[in-house]
Amino acid sequence: MKILIVDDEALIRELILQIIDELEDMDIQTIEASDGLEGLELIRKEKPDIVLLDIMMPKMSGFEICRILQKEPPSWDMKIVILTAKGQEIDKQTARELGVKWYITKPFKIDDIIKLLRELLEVKSNES
Amino acid sequence: MRMSKLFRKTLLGIIFLFAIIFITISVFSGWHIYKNLVEEYKSKGTAIASSIASSSAETILNLDSATVQAMIDQFLEIEGVSYVFVVDSTGEIVSHTFVPTIPEKIKEIAQVHKTGIKDVSIENFGDFLDVVSPITEGAIGYVHVGMNKNIINKKMWNVLAKQLTLLFLIFIFSVLLAYFMVNRISQPLNQLTEYAKKLLAHDFEAKVDIKSEDEIGLLANTMKSMANNINEVFTRYEFALKDAVVELQDTLAYLTTIIDNMADGLIVVDKDGIINHVNLAASEMFGKAESEMIGKSIEILGKELDKLVKKSLQTEEVVSTEINLVNERVGKAVAKSIKKEYFSEESEARGILGSVILIRDITQEKEIDRLKTEFITVVSHELRTPLTSILGFIELINKKFTENILPRLDLSDTKLAKVVNKINKDFKIILSEGERITLLINDVLDISKLESGTVTWNLQEISIKEVITDAYKALSFLFEQKGIPCYLDIQPSLPMVNADKERLIQVVINLLSNALKFTEKGYVKCQARLNEDEILVSVEDTGIGIPEKEKEKIFEKFKQVGDLIKGKPKGTGLGLAISKQIIEAHGGKIWVESELGKGSIFYFTIPLTRKEDLNENTDSR
Repeated sequence: MKILIVDDEALIRELILQIIDELEDMDIQTIEASDGLEGLELIRKEKPDIVLLDIMMPKMSGFEICRILQKEPPSWDMKIVILTAKGQEIDKQTARELGVKWYITKPFKIDDIIKLLRELLEVKSNES
Repeated sequence: MRMSKLFRKTLLGIIFLFAIIFITISVFSGWHIYKNLVEEYKSKGTAIASSIASSSAETILNLDSATVQAMIDQFLEIEGVSYVFVVDSTGEIVSHTFVPTIPEKIKEIAQVHKTGIKDVSIENFGDFLDVVSPITEGAIGYVHVGMNKNIINKKMWNVLAKQLTLLFLIFIFSVLLAYFMVNRISQPLNQLTEYAKKLLAHDFEAKVDIKSEDEIGLLANTMKSMANNINEVFTRYEFALKDAVVELQDTLAYLTTIIDNMADGLIVVDKDGIINHVNLAASEMFGKAESEMIGKSIEILGKELDKLVKKSLQTEEVVSTEINLVNERVGKAVAKSIKKEYFSEESEARGILGSVILIRDITQEKEIDRLKTEFITVVSHELRTPLTSILGFIELINKKFTENILPRLDLSDTKLAKVVNKINKDFKIILSEGERITLLINDVLDISKLESGTVTWNLQEISIKEVITDAYKALSFLFEQKGIPCYLDIQPSLPMVNADKERLIQVVINLLSNALKFTEKGYVKCQARLNEDEILVSVEDTGIGIPEKEKEKIFEKFKQVGDLIKGKPKGTGLGLAISKQIIEAHGGKIWVESELGKGSIFYFTIPLTRKEDLNENTDSR
């Protein structure tokens, strides 16, 4: 299993990494990107199973990445979870329109993240 | 000069009168004179004839015709005597005065022996009165005297002519007299007429020169004083009118100046939406000259304004909207219908006459608002990121501590157990305070968006019952925790309302959690009722209550009753301010009734037919 963390804040990436560490019973490989452009490149190169995506980032926003992916859908099964400080209803709606099912606002409870990742990973491993 | 009517009438009267006099006098006098003259001639003829007869008897007997001739010739000279002849008893003319011959007719007469007078007409000779007198009773003969009738006529006509001439002179004199008298009357009348005509033409300075003291003079004087009075009144009114007009013009100019110098744009439309007044600011705002707008429909200034005007013409309330102006500027247009109350009762104007639209350029305010919202958005984002790290790591530490360290500690050591307890408590404090900061950031962002009108409303037909039960579900565990019962009393089959469900749930959650927060014992009750054309929702508690003077303040930002009573309760102090914004945006009202120490009831209303402007100010943010 491969999880890509796209966030311009190093400390947030570190936090997420540590949260994923809590899922030690699962075989998870993590990769990080510090801006939207790098995130998009890594998505195409690494083909991750799950992308934890921030919205407000330099070079390319999370929404733009979603927009590009909506036009050129990835060939593999990839789930996008948006992790953002933008908590307005309008942003959630934009995400829905872009086909993103999971939307978590910062600050979040780590248990929520753990629960969600566990769910997604279990569905994934059941499929395969 | 034209003959005056009065004189003409008098003249006709005089002529008529004189004609009657002429005719009667002529007939009567002529007949009388004729009769007299005839009588006179008859007696004259008879006298002459008798005289001749008595003195001629002997001479005829003597056959002395020469003497007879001389005698009758002598009589011929008497006035009126035309002829004299004497006949003998045989009818033979003895002597006569005819020259040269005796007319045939006379010879016939001579044969008739009859005493008396008869009319005789002799050809080429004339008409005569033939007076016959017998000589010695006809034994000797007869004397004939012919009195000239023509002379009688002549005399009669002569007298008549004299009389008529005199009458004519009197007539002329009468006419002249009448003329002068009529003139004396009609001239001042004419003068008065001219004067009256001048007065009619408002020439009150005109003079009339009549000094007589008769009725005419009296009339003239009355007219003069009347004219003076009218003149005075006229002058007074003229001045008053002039003053009023000047004052009116000044007022109008003053008002026009005010309107034209207003910083805000002003447009006035009639009841059909036709523009009939525009000030300078408005014409600059739309980049159109006044002449391009006056008389046109308000539609030419954009459909938002058209919509606003139509709405305004249907209500007496003030309606407003945002409109686009030229040069990418934004204006706020406020419209109010004009009612007829300032017009007089007689005016045809009835009901709504039109609408006055004021337009303020709010480009700068909008920009400031936008910057403020952007600032708050950025700040809140910037705050959230470190907050995420802090809370996230604390949680991780807490988790690791609980899962990895705690099991390995020897908790039988009471000192260590105490420390562990404290650490757990401290973690909880950090987490709950962190949560409070998160809520505060959310609320600040919320209120700033609500206040700047950049909120998107998700309007749907929703049920108030669902709103209340959803809100209660979210809080039920808190009620259970605190041991306060919460009663829901919702009127069955309430109509649906067009509203933003999530936002209304937010309001009810806020009111319920406030009620819970301030209630230590008793209950909380939430009711919903249909009240005419709106739904009335109330949240009642048996808590500390709100002092009278604080009732309005609590809907302001960062105001809490707790500030005034005791220690600051948990909460952001923005909940009621946000609720107020949400309810008012739905066209409803929110207020509170409370008794200090006994509890409070918060009410809000949601109209069934929502005013349209809820989504007009939304932004795609």
